Amino acid sequence: MNVGQDEYLEALWCLREQEKDTLADLQTALDDPLDHDILASLAAVGMAVFNRETGTVTLSAQGLDHARALVRKHRLAERLLHDVLGLRNQRFESEACTFEHLVAPNVVDGICTLLGHPRECPHGLPIPEGPCCTRNEHTVQSAVAHLSEFELGESGRIAYLNCRDDSLLHRLNGLQIKPGAKIKVHQKYPAWVVECEGGMIAIDPRIADSICLWRQQTPPPPEHEIGPQETEKSAKWRFWRP
Amino acid sequence: MTVTEPVKQSTQAGKKKVAIVGLPNTGKSLIYNHLTGDYTLVANYMLTTVEPKRGKCQIHGCHMEVIDTPGLHCLSGHSTEGLSIRDLIFTEQPDVIVQCIDANQLKQSLTLTVDLLELGIPMVISLNAIDETARRGIWIDSTTLSHTFGIPVIETIATQGRGIAELKKAIASPRIPVPPLRYPDAIEQAVSDLQGLGALPTVHSRKIALLLAIRDSFVEQHVARVASPEDIERIKNRVDDLHLQFRGNVATAIASVRSRWVDEVADGVVKRQKVRSGEFAKTFGHLCRHPIFGIPILFLILATTYFLVVRVAGAMEDFLNGYIANPCVRWVSAITPRGFWRDLLAGPDYGLLTLGLFNALCTVLPILFVFFLILGALEDIGYIPSLCVLTKRVFDKIGLNGNAIMSVVLGFGCKTMATLSTAGLPRREKLIAVYLIAAYVPCSAQMGLSMGILGRYSFWALLATYGTIFLMAVFAGLLLNRILPDTGTGVLVQELPAIRWPSPRAVIVKTCYRLYWFLREAVPIFLGAALVLFLAQWTGLLDTLKAALRPLVVTWLGMPLDMVDALILCIARHEAAAGLLIRMSDAGKLNVAQCGLAVLLTTVFIPCLANIVAMCKRVGLKTGLLMTVAISLSAFVLVGMFHWILVFYGAWTT
Repeated sequence: MNVGQDEYLEALWCLREQEKDTLADLQTALDDPLDHDILASLAAVGMAVFNRETGTVTLSAQGLDHARALVRKHRLAERLLHDVLGLRNQRFESEACTFEHLVAPNVVDGICTLLGHPRECPHGLPIPEGPCCTRNEHTVQSAVAHLSEFELGESGRIAYLNCRDDSLLHRLNGLQIKPGAKIKVHQKYPAWVVECEGGMIAIDPRIADSICLWRQQTPPPPEHEIGPQETEKSAKWRFWRP
Repeated sequence: MTVTEPVKQSTQAGKKKVAIVGLPNTGKSLIYNHLTGDYTLVANYMLTTVEPKRGKCQIHGCHMEVIDTPGLHCLSGHSTEGLSIRDLIFTEQPDVIVQCIDANQLKQSLTLTVDLLELGIPMVISLNAIDETARRGIWIDSTTLSHTFGIPVIETIATQGRGIAELKKAIASPRIPVPPLRYPDAIEQAVSDLQGLGALPTVHSRKIALLLAIRDSFVEQHVARVASPEDIERIKNRVDDLHLQFRGNVATAIASVRSRWVDEVADGVVKRQKVRSGEFAKTFGHLCRHPIFGIPILFLILATTYFLVVRVAGAMEDFLNGYIANPCVRWVSAITPRGFWRDLLAGPDYGLLTLGLFNALCTVLPILFVFFLILGALEDIGYIPSLCVLTKRVFDKIGLNGNAIMSVVLGFGCKTMATLSTAGLPRREKLIAVYLIAAYVPCSAQMGLSMGILGRYSFWALLATYGTIFLMAVFAGLLLNRILPDTGTGVLVQELPAIRWPSPRAVIVKTCYRLYWFLREAVPIFLGAALVLFLAQWTGLLDTLKAALRPLVVTWLGMPLDMVDALILCIARHEAAAGLLIRMSDAGKLNVAQCGLAVLLTTVFIPCLANIVAMCKRVGLKTGLLMTVAISLSAFVLVGMFHWILVFYGAWTT
């Protein structure tokens, strides 16, 4: 889909909301004169259904899905720019137009959750619901988190280090605490104790703040594991692990 | 991948130098001990070796000088750690480098390996602790590793001395490695340009050029010593050019190339199989550092130590005194005529045998034996560093953080070593740490003997005395933290060694060496101090001194006048004073409160000579001596204060 086609799909979605479907309506909804090539291409890929006899154009099921996603992005972008970044006048509209072509679907859900699943755009038009709205998620599962936000036993892969001190960076590097390394939290107080590449390292809480990681769910133990499986008892005794 | 050539056997005059380098706690000292047949202290944690140590060895008829070095993370970098070893590598140019690698933490070591390979010095890798690796289900393909580097990689188990023969063979015929890495073109170009200037020292020129490219201050100074000012200017210009041309950070680019290489090599040779073993050791490690459970464990360890020192060492002491010391003294008294000679040899107060030899052998030695045995086991388990985590809260309050904590904790082993290990700390933390170590941290011998002395009364006497010392230390730390200008503190980054079962052989060997060193160093001092005291007594000097010190000792401190003897012995050797205190308390000259204060006084009074020398080395002569005076004076002031507090509350009975 190119930008022109996206514009038409959005326009068709808007017409559908107003329960209109003629070409004349489409013409008024669009700023530029009607481009029949684009309409034909949409019909060719099965996004739109073009009826010459009645002079109407409607979205197919596939077209509806696509248009819903586009409109959702656009209107969420408007909310973000309007509410959070405080853009006013026409600027946020044009910015939102650029925005909708760039953002990936999971990021859209992140923005939606961040904004608290808004129902309407700043113009008062409905924002199509996404999967995050139906689940009513409260928090954004941000991709990168600080080590200090990690819980005991959680592990993650280091994304980057927020560290200004070169010598400290060297020292951490020497201990393999560097981007790409896997870290597991063993203790949080009075100092952090983490496991990294087979070594245990005690680090200052201040450093824990400056290590940013991608969260990782602990994978289930592999099938070929040797030795007794973790028993009920050892799981129960976990409570005293700090 | 790489082509290597055997090194021509150097038949030049002079011994070959073999430098053992590696990350902290990778078994360098163990390898050193095995190669030289010498003994340096080893323990299952970092910072055991703080100064390079040299020894001789003969491998295949070739005499070699072996140098054991403190732990080193990388050659480059802006950190102050490992300055001495960098200096050693660049200025002394060892003929062979032996890198010790802990096979459990291969990746961590490989960063240093890259650095060393780039030096172009013949090298051998000792892949250590291979037994633990096997237990953890890690298998390392050392043959591939050897091919990748183009140098011998020898699997060893240093704790048991396995693989040492192969290591010796490899050291006798080492190979020059080929630098494994190519950096981005702009950097490579700059490096070859720098080498082409002809201003760099010929040895390690590639490494030096690389370090110059990242503006490493240590190497800049090193080059400045040999190159002319014009050359330095040209070098500087070329490096500036590189930084202008290069898009991005040169140091980061080099680091990322290395980091990728390390990952590739490690992933290629390490095979892991998940094994659920060592769970107990791991759990024990967790518990030792736990903010709640760690403290009872610490107390349990201390209580066990106390019990063993008081009971076992006490029994040994009684036995030795009953069957060796007393009969000997009686026999000597019987055969020497009454007067000068009998008093000199077997006099009840200042005899060479009574206060000198048997004090060392029969009173002090058993206590040290038991205590060193326990300390050795704790060191071998790897327990000590977990105290760093456990005590962090206290240290935070007194302005110590980062490596300073480890230094102070090491003071419980040997104060001199601990003082030396403060080398890399920021000035302010160094001052606080050095002062606290010298003044308030009881070293292993002091602690063992204090247990021996106060154990004659009760466990609570010991607890009260050490509680007081602890409070004094915290108070002094708070005060120093207040008055010293705040220059920002370091941050704690501390490797924790894997907890492992102690090896009885290693513990016994270590204890024997520690006792041997004690006997070798301390017995002459014990004898000398006894002689000095005897002569002072004989000439009447001692009585004059005692009369002069009476207001201080008796009135202010509330001690019997004989405490002057202990203080004089304390200046010579703390153990001698402790031995005297034991004799005094056995003779009923001290009550429990006096004994507690006496232990307090001898602990915080003047640091031992080696410690004073180490202090001066680390904080400068003037500050070091100033600290010594401050420590000694404050000891009298504080102990006197405690005496009068006890008097005030009616808890003092004489």
